Amino acid sequence: MSGSQLLELLVGGLAIGCIYSLIALGFTMIIRATGVLHFAQGELVMLGAMFGVTAHRLLPSLPLAPLLLTGMVFGGLAAVAIELGVYRTLRVRRIPLMNITIATIGMSILLQNTGQLVWGSEPIAYPKLFASTAYSLGPARIAPQLVWIIGMGVVVMLLLQLFLAFTRTGRAMQAAAQRPDTAQLMGINLTRITAYTYAIAGALGGGAGVLLGSLFYASFNMGFLPAIKAFVAATLGGLGSIGGAMFGGIIFGVIETFAAVWISTSYKDAVGMVMLILILLVWPEGLVGLIRKRR
Amino acid sequence: MSARPQFHAGYLWAGRIIMLACLIAVPILYPQKYVVHVLGLAMIFAIAALALQVLLGFAGLLSIGQAAFLGIGAYTSAILTTRYKLPFELAFLAAGLSAGIASLTLVPITRLRGVYLAVATLGFTIIIHLVLLNEEWLTGGSFGILNIPWPSLGPWSLKGETAIYYLCLGVLVVTFVALHRLMPSRFGRALQAIMLEEDAARACGVDLTYYKSQAFVVAAIITGFAGSLFAHHSQYLNPNDFTFWKSIEIVLMVAVGGIGSFAGAVTGAFVVTLLPEFLRAADEYRMVIFGSMLIVFMGLGHRGLAGLFSTFALRVLQRRSLAEHASAHGLTR
Repeated sequence: MSGSQLLELLVGGLAIGCIYSLIALGFTMIIRATGVLHFAQGELVMLGAMFGVTAHRLLPSLPLAPLLLTGMVFGGLAAVAIELGVYRTLRVRRIPLMNITIATIGMSILLQNTGQLVWGSEPIAYPKLFASTAYSLGPARIAPQLVWIIGMGVVVMLLLQLFLAFTRTGRAMQAAAQRPDTAQLMGINLTRITAYTYAIAGALGGGAGVLLGSLFYASFNMGFLPAIKAFVAATLGGLGSIGGAMFGGIIFGVIETFAAVWISTSYKDAVGMVMLILILLVWPEGLVGLIRKRR
Repeated sequence: MSARPQFHAGYLWAGRIIMLACLIAVPILYPQKYVVHVLGLAMIFAIAALALQVLLGFAGLLSIGQAAFLGIGAYTSAILTTRYKLPFELAFLAAGLSAGIASLTLVPITRLRGVYLAVATLGFTIIIHLVLLNEEWLTGGSFGILNIPWPSLGPWSLKGETAIYYLCLGVLVVTFVALHRLMPSRFGRALQAIMLEEDAARACGVDLTYYKSQAFVVAAIITGFAGSLFAHHSQYLNPNDFTFWKSIEIVLMVAVGGIGSFAGAVTGAFVVTLLPEFLRAADEYRMVIFGSMLIVFMGLGHRGLAGLFSTFALRVLQRRSLAEHASAHGLTR
């Protein structure tokens, strides 16, 4: 394989990896704040993509960035709505975590089929948002779309890091995730923080939905499998760690892309899974845990 | 466990025997092919749910990998009977055996806890699904395997929906009784100790890895048997019957029925399999309703339908005994 092909593959892998990272970050934020494995995360991805398409139909001249913003806003709103409407009720009733996690599977079924009722069962082609002439980087030719996806993904992740590190709310979130009881004693309103967490997770999912849609298409069941993979990626990186989710997502995307070419297209999903099982057996804290231990 | 409401064992067995009698009666009272077929399917999943109950309810291991063992069992049985013309009895045993052997390769992951085990087993389901889909020389790929014969038992050939219905019922009853007898054994008590307090169990000399992996293999073997029944029940296999979604469905069955109760696992399997059929009238809204009901089920109580039912029944029984008590007092006074 030539160097240029390698580069093209790498860019493709990074693009899909960025999307996995965004979804995985949503999982991580929720699992840190509430301990719930949020199976409906994939449906937030779907809702983001669908609202993106709808926005484009209403205003056909919108470029990618506002579309991404639309997806993020509606993904966030949907997540807050289900948190306030459903999950909070379950938590207040002191339903065990296991049951809440299974209720999120119910939520996933509910949202997926509502999506099917609203937007139909046919996949919806995403509008052309980019120039089709590829960028040339030496002999390698790279689709502008991929570059944009990586760029947007990185910007969103950077903004999240800045938000968590420097704003009052962001730091309250970190505190609440680390020691909920102590955080509450310090005057942090946990109920509100959980709602914010869902808002951010939903926004990340919705944004990922627009990016994923622009890469392939939008359909009512587009979210579930990528979300499962993103969750695997988060575990690969180190479950519960923000860095782990970003790192794991990108690694997983790259592995998947290279496995499709070097091993076989039909087994590309299996390669990631085999790696996951091996890594969990050797270092249950994931890749990030490994790096931390070395330090 | 002591906090749970307890029945007199007689009531429990009376309830189970009534349930069994109903299941025996259905094909006689409603000899409709479709009804018998769907109920047979529900019983097959009930067997798989019982196996997961051993893991989830007794060993505290959340496995999202049961569809893989179901698939391995189903394909083993189907390949042996169609390609090598082996009798059903042998294929059935081989199905359990092959699922058990496959689970041996996963035994090291039973060391993992909670979500990690769940993700690892989920990954295993995805791998097995891809193998079933892509190894065409062995599994027929996406075309699947056609014309799987009806099962036979010695000289009797079990042709038709009703015959296989009773076969599934028989296997279900044997599994149920066997697991019930297993739980008070050393193995069962060790699992419950692990579930209640892992560190305390280890301190008392319970070999965690040994018992957890034993539970994992036992569950895989039972699920393999269920897979064999599945193959001969639908007579057609397709890799898409064994995606990770099927694994999740089996988890739903146990959770809806009630974690920690065998009768609950069976009930849950019936509810999860039959509910979408009952909701067919709601047409395009049926999965929306199914999803909402799932959330409500989970929100209703801590121990699923089994918990709800036992709380309700206990209340009724208690009220009656109180009333008897009061009237007895009234008489003496």
